[in-house]
Amino acid sequence: MKKNSKAMVSAAIYSLLLFMLFGCTKENVQTIDQRNWQLVWSDEFNDSAGVSPDAAKWKFDIGVGPNYDGWGNAELEYYTNRATNVSLDGEGNLAITARRESYSGSAFTSARIKTIGLFEQPYGRFEARIKNPWGPGIWPAFWLLGANSETIGWPQCGEIDIMELRGQKPNIISGTVHGPGYSGSASITKSFAFEDDRFDVDYHVFAVEWGEDYLDFFVDSTLYQRITPDNVTGNWVFDHPFFIILNVAVGGNYLGFPTDQTPFPQSMLVDYIRVYKEAGQ
Amino acid sequence: MKNIKSNSLIAALITILLIAVSCERKLDGLELATYPTTPEVFVDGFSTGLYYAAYGTSKVTAFSVDKEVKYSGTASMRFDVPDAGDPFGSYVGGVFGTNPGRDLSGYNVLTFWAKASEPAVIDQVGFGNDMGASKYQVSITSLAVNNTWKQFFLLIPDPSVLTQERGMLYYSATPQNGRGFTFWIDDVKFEKIGTIAHEVYQICNGNDLNSTGAQGTYTILNCNAIFNLPTGINQTENIAKSYFTFTSSDTTIATVNSSGVINLKGNGTAKITAKVGNINAVGSYTLTTGGPGFPAPTPAVAAANVISIYSDAYTNVTIDDYCEHWEWGQGQPWHAIITTEYSFGNLNDNNFIHYSNNNDTWDLKRMISPIKFKSNPQNVSSMTYVHYDVWVPSVSTYTTNKPTIALQDATGIQVGVNSTSSLATDQWVSIDIPLSSFSGIDKSKIAYFVFDNFPSDVYVDNIFFYSQPTLPTTAAPIPTFLPANVISVFSDAYTNVSGTDLNPNWGQATVVTQIPVAGNNTLKYTGLNYQGIQLGSSQNVSGMNFVHLDFWTANSTSLNIYLISTGPVEKAYSLTVPTTGWTSVDIPLSAFSPVNLTDVIQFKFDGNGDIFIDNILFHK
Repeated sequence: MKKNSKAMVSAAIYSLLLFMLFGCTKENVQTIDQRNWQLVWSDEFNDSAGVSPDAAKWKFDIGVGPNYDGWGNAELEYYTNRATNVSLDGEGNLAITARRESYSGSAFTSARIKTIGLFEQPYGRFEARIKNPWGPGIWPAFWLLGANSETIGWPQCGEIDIMELRGQKPNIISGTVHGPGYSGSASITKSFAFEDDRFDVDYHVFAVEWGEDYLDFFVDSTLYQRITPDNVTGNWVFDHPFFIILNVAVGGNYLGFPTDQTPFPQSMLVDYIRVYKEAGQ
Repeated sequence: MKNIKSNSLIAALITILLIAVSCERKLDGLELATYPTTPEVFVDGFSTGLYYAAYGTSKVTAFSVDKEVKYSGTASMRFDVPDAGDPFGSYVGGVFGTNPGRDLSGYNVLTFWAKASEPAVIDQVGFGNDMGASKYQVSITSLAVNNTWKQFFLLIPDPSVLTQERGMLYYSATPQNGRGFTFWIDDVKFEKIGTIAHEVYQICNGNDLNSTGAQGTYTILNCNAIFNLPTGINQTENIAKSYFTFTSSDTTIATVNSSGVINLKGNGTAKITAKVGNINAVGSYTLTTGGPGFPAPTPAVAAANVISIYSDAYTNVTIDDYCEHWEWGQGQPWHAIITTEYSFGNLNDNNFIHYSNNNDTWDLKRMISPIKFKSNPQNVSSMTYVHYDVWVPSVSTYTTNKPTIALQDATGIQVGVNSTSSLATDQWVSIDIPLSSFSGIDKSKIAYFVFDNFPSDVYVDNIFFYSQPTLPTTAAPIPTFLPANVISVFSDAYTNVSGTDLNPNWGQATVVTQIPVAGNNTLKYTGLNYQGIQLGSSQNVSGMNFVHLDFWTANSTSLNIYLISTGPVEKAYSLTVPTTGWTSVDIPLSAFSPVNLTDVIQFKFDGNGDIFIDNILFHK
């Protein structure tokens, strides 16, 4: 999610190529070991409509990024903690809503929440059941960032993007890792595409299963990508606690900018987030 | 865009092809229990049973099958849009259909690819045009195309109804800035795909419309569908009303048929909503019997001459209260309160006031609506009229009253002017009352405008004081007849009959003067009762065809012109007054029969008011 702002177009093409080469092909679905996952943390978002995310679990990112550069990606939104941008919908979901509105110098608002300092964990299964927003320039994401990011910096801290979607391609999601030597356009990524369905019409479970030497990316029950230390073109940095981030960006180098035709408002609906640890670990 | 409707066409000029070249299905010789479900319309050629009919007024040779340019396979459909003014038709358009129809209920979209010789806009592409009732027509408009193939999608709003559809594809296109271009369409087929989502159906463009109006027929308009394309952007398409099921909230007040035509037949309110299949459409149309269905006429008086109380056309004075509640005889046995409620309404962006809900303690059958601007009293002494527009619904009670407009000055003195009759119902009525009728009040400090003794339920708009200009500010138009064809009596543009007396003493009260209006010498009759013009000599005008004159009056309500020959033989011709600016008339001389046109000696005018006249002449 945190990108090097250069050469994103080529990254997009690369993702697409990967998808075209490997997406949905049978030989790429691997058989994995059955694991005994035990729930250690979750948010079911079962409160009444308009309620803000549980402050014991979530913090807000506010504004346009610490360097005023659209969070390193030239994103256009201003992140707020207002209920109109982030609150429960009263039907069991968290809604992060991007709006086209003038606010503090930005043309769009949205929200980004994170568990930093509240919940951080290495390894395990991180999953969320999400119905995505849509439209050119809409960029929802469910991702993990190394909890040491503020001390050692990005990309040394590591980043695991469990689900990212470009609103102009609502039938494709991507799973990606960034680390030293493989960040931004050089990140390790693969896309998963529906040939005849979209990620914005129904809920789907997006998950990563993370062990000491692997990261398995899932859509529903399908494993579509395994990343191991052999796959990354630098040091394997997925060996320390990470925290969770949920956000909906508007525009940015990753996917281009919204157009007049982009329908607003757009909500990412999150039914739940659950984090597991493997029993005995 | 050419607005082309199939039922207005001379249909079926040419049927080019009727070939069965479907790649997969061999239907020949089969007895079909149901209609075919063939998805292809045109992929590399005409699909089974497909025919083409160009619109009768279009360039019928525009369509051809192109084996060179294609999106895929071996051929595409090519359309050559002619230049504007092409003698063989200046647009292209037509219908691709099948007979019998096809069962399309298993599909959800029509898709095709299109490109053009240059960036251009194709006016319309759709399906469901069967050159008959076209009950299930769907179209997208203004398709932007260029030299790269681009895919288009048309959503089938409710596939379950398309069990025998004959209209596979129709289109129309016009020149771009007068110049023709070529476009190609390929791989036209019905499909069922999952990458189209979020369909929304709309009536009234998705708005919740409110309208008050007389009983009668109203129509649901602007029915469309919006759906999200695989690229994440929305596409809007026009869809036939037959896809909708319309419902009235109260069928005793209004019924609605399958064509979206509403019959407002009872007194009250009914809300019309709609569904497509099981999906509720966005938008509604709420109709209330009674009030106007369209705005009051826009006033024509120049703003500089107006002091406005309530009008969208002018800047209004600050109002304290649009309906002050008045009562009489506090503490007395005859204590009376007449309270009127008001609300503001809006029709086509035009605001009005609705006065209603009379609470009349003594059942006096009066409605009083005093508009108060006492904190901001108005000096209307330079104004000549007060104007208002009113709509009285026929459902209003005590409509037989003679409504009164009263003005009250800042000291509380009030004078009312009764109208001479009750107001016409179910129409806008414009009333202008001379301010001279309101005598005995201080017109430099008017504090109230009062609707008194009005019907129980009225809609009003455009309440303002205004001054009628008493002089024309522009000259009469200069006549352009050839001098050889004119016998002129009074005009700066021609040589006039010499010796003419413009003010013969016939005992009239009219004051005659000549004044310059914008430098043009103009005849003015002040306080007309009657007035003659004695020609300098008898004129033979039998070679002429018309009497021409220009006239201007702000305050006359009656004006006749007479032509007189020796005898005297005279004949009147009525002129329409007052005028809005200069009125020019050319009266056929035959209208003055039996006046002897070989011996015309005089003109005469009668009527009232102050009249300005110019360019009195005969011409061919």
